[in-house]
Amino acid sequence: MKGAKTKGKPVVDVTGHLQAFGTGVKYLLQPRMTVRYPEVFQDFGPNYRGMLKLYTDRCISCTLCARICPSNAIKMYKTDARKYPGITYQRCIFCGFCADICPVDALEMSGVHDVAYAGLEEQVQKPEDFSKGPPIEKPPRKVKPMIDEKRGLRYERV
Amino acid sequence: MDIIQFLLDLLFSEAVFVPLIFPGLLTLTVVIVVIIWFERKLAAKVQLRYGPLYVFKPLGGIVQLVADLVKFLFAELIVPKGADKRAFLLSPVILFTFSVAPVVAIPLSSGYAAVKSDLTLLIVPALLTLAPIFVLILGWSSDNKFSFIGGLREGYMMMAYETTMFVAVLAMAVTYSSLSLIDIAGKQSNGLWGIVLNPLAAFAFFVAMLMTTARFPFDVTEAESEIVIGPYTEYSGIYFGLCLGASYAKLYVLSLFFAVVFLGGWNPLIWPLNLNPILPGVAVLVKAFLVMLFCVFLRSVYPRFRIDQALQLGWHKLLALSVASVVLALVLIGLGFEVG
Amino acid sequence: MSEERFLELLIGPQHPGSGHMKITAEMDGDIIVGFEPNIGYVHRAVEKIAETKTYMQIIPLVERPALPDTANHNLGYTLALEKLLGIEAPPRAQYLRTLLAEINRIHSHLYGIGIHGIFIGSSTMFMWAFADREPWMELAQQLTGARLTYSYMIPGGVRRNLPEGFKDNALKATRYMERRLKDYDKLFVHNPVTVARLRDVGILKKNLAARIGVVGPTLRASGISYDVRKIEPYCAYPHLDFDVVVREEGDSHARLLVRVEEILQSIRIIRQVLDEVPDGPVFLESYIKLLSPKIREEAEKTQIMRFPATFAALKPPKGEATSRVEAARGEVFYYIVSDGSPQPYRFRMVTPSFRNVVAFKYALLGRRLADIPAVYGSLDYFPPEADR
Repeated sequence: MKGAKTKGKPVVDVTGHLQAFGTGVKYLLQPRMTVRYPEVFQDFGPNYRGMLKLYTDRCISCTLCARICPSNAIKMYKTDARKYPGITYQRCIFCGFCADICPVDALEMSGVHDVAYAGLEEQVQKPEDFSKGPPIEKPPRKVKPMIDEKRGLRYERV
Repeated sequence: MDIIQFLLDLLFSEAVFVPLIFPGLLTLTVVIVVIIWFERKLAAKVQLRYGPLYVFKPLGGIVQLVADLVKFLFAELIVPKGADKRAFLLSPVILFTFSVAPVVAIPLSSGYAAVKSDLTLLIVPALLTLAPIFVLILGWSSDNKFSFIGGLREGYMMMAYETTMFVAVLAMAVTYSSLSLIDIAGKQSNGLWGIVLNPLAAFAFFVAMLMTTARFPFDVTEAESEIVIGPYTEYSGIYFGLCLGASYAKLYVLSLFFAVVFLGGWNPLIWPLNLNPILPGVAVLVKAFLVMLFCVFLRSVYPRFRIDQALQLGWHKLLALSVASVVLALVLIGLGFEVG
Repeated sequence: MSEERFLELLIGPQHPGSGHMKITAEMDGDIIVGFEPNIGYVHRAVEKIAETKTYMQIIPLVERPALPDTANHNLGYTLALEKLLGIEAPPRAQYLRTLLAEINRIHSHLYGIGIHGIFIGSSTMFMWAFADREPWMELAQQLTGARLTYSYMIPGGVRRNLPEGFKDNALKATRYMERRLKDYDKLFVHNPVTVARLRDVGILKKNLAARIGVVGPTLRASGISYDVRKIEPYCAYPHLDFDVVVREEGDSHARLLVRVEEILQSIRIIRQVLDEVPDGPVFLESYIKLLSPKIREEAEKTQIMRFPATFAALKPPKGEATSRVEAARGEVFYYIVSDGSPQPYRFRMVTPSFRNVVAFKYALLGRRLADIPAVYGSLDYFPPEADR
């Protein structure tokens, strides 16, 4: 594509106007690509990076998760002789480094990405709340995005 | 029941019915609510999304504009410190008045019109020439550089479209040898509408109509990415609603005019339109609404022009087209073509 | 009273058409006679913060300035870090990195075209471009688990392997995109109004473009064929066959056309990568050996790579490393100096938008007020990327 010149087109280029108008009319008849969130939830699949759940019985207090977290969201809390991680969800960027570095699989990412908290205090979770995992509510309707050749994205009921 | 009969007679008399109810202020409000909703929905459908949806869901959000108007009514009216208060507060009102005023000249049928005179064809363009002056005053009195530039742009656009519009109207006056809207609509009863007789004038008038009401691609006055919202930048609350409503009111009035002059008015007079002198106006309104739909659909197709390109279009190509339409009209008359 | 002829317009941060920057324009009527862009409103001191974070923690940090284009920035940093560590990723990982980089290039160009559309008034182009980013973000989500900030490339390889059915989905998305580009052409790119707005507006001639140092599609639209993927190839680019898109006119319309053409070239690259991706590991063997056997099995089963414990405090040997990558907006340059500690001693990143700011002054003097958004959108200037 080296140096191809574009032809000069005057403003009253009738075919250009008609083509633009025709494309506009053609898309009046096409289906939409919007998901009516929050009446409809999208199901992104099993490997979507979302909120975390701590398995306290597996944790060996190595503190690797707190050391690798890029935004210092994980902090170790001392309980009797051992330390367990707690998380501040306001800082979490859902990168998944902590889950990937844990040598005993004590951190698991769920697919939940949209929880609303009433205040900052609720987002600072000690290990007891962290081990409960994100509040999983039953959404009204779930759809799964599928890549479609004609429409780009099509949504199928799950 | 004399008094009720008297009031009903008063209500349905032409001087009260046309300006206030149909096609006057009441119909104007309903039409503006519906057409802005249509504009947003049409643009949304082309753009693969929903548009206004939630305000009254069974009807698809058609009451969205009423919700917006209520919001405007409750918003605080802020007058900037350095603004010229009288001009700032009065000009939107006068602008809206002059944008709506020409509706009195539109006839509903050959026997029912508010203004019975031989010159009703001239009333509509003449009253509309007063509106841009108040946009200039709006822009100047806001004490804001962007409003000032926006007001100047409206002045330039007026230069672009006015001559074309008047010459195109002249062409139609020559074609029909009459300056009365009732006569012109009457002469289209044989099925040959104005758009068929003189398509050049129709096209030139249509593009001039787009320019005067700031529809895309001639959205130059309110170019949002360049001058925030043009002359209406400092307005808030119901004044902002009046400013934007003024351009839709102009669109409504000009569409009615287009329907009467170019699209046959109330013809064909089929049943049930010939039952009552008011009912043919429904046909005029439907045709005007279709013209408005087409105008607002262009929002989803075109970007906007630059001011010098719009001016060049108006003065070079459109003026030539409208002069050619006058020549076409003279040729038609010269060939002895009998109209109506 | 002094007579003032020039009007000083402050198109500041609170303006629909200015983004996160301030523009001081001196107008003589409608003509611009003075133009000063004033940047720095989104400066968040990324380079200084990087001196307090460990090398793995810098990976998400480096992605955040250039949000539409995270994978290319991530890639540049990872290549520089691998040079410092003295390792090289396995071939399959190189191909997967190229795949994500090209997917990201496509949706970053769509972002740029969309913003350009709304700046000249075509809201349809804006909505279509952003709607068409969705299939690509869905593809990237299937590959990496996130829609925009992937953090996919780590020193030693990539974090996940190709999932089942990815190739079919990707090919469907490429065919969809090719069809949609034809509609973009009719509705926006060759719309007579767009052509009138963009033709011969903001011309950067060849010598001027080379002298002031612009990069990316801006440079290629002025007739200079410079693409880091051909000059200093990295990852899988030496084995792939694609063209560098060059135009001669140097005006805003040429820049728009270069972007649209580059989407097609990226589609070509994606198809080749999916056909030719070699088998093998996606993460460095010496790092996999550091994992415990149970975790190694888990990683093998789920195809999600796990980090060895050294990643929490990577200590590369003393030295310095540079890398150059062709991001969507141009060339990104990274320079890391390590002094043996877990944090870098100096981290420098030069982003393409920062290099392109100077083009504003040269492209807009003597033009009209309405050309400011037209040229702004065509340069695809992204203020957070420039300010870092």
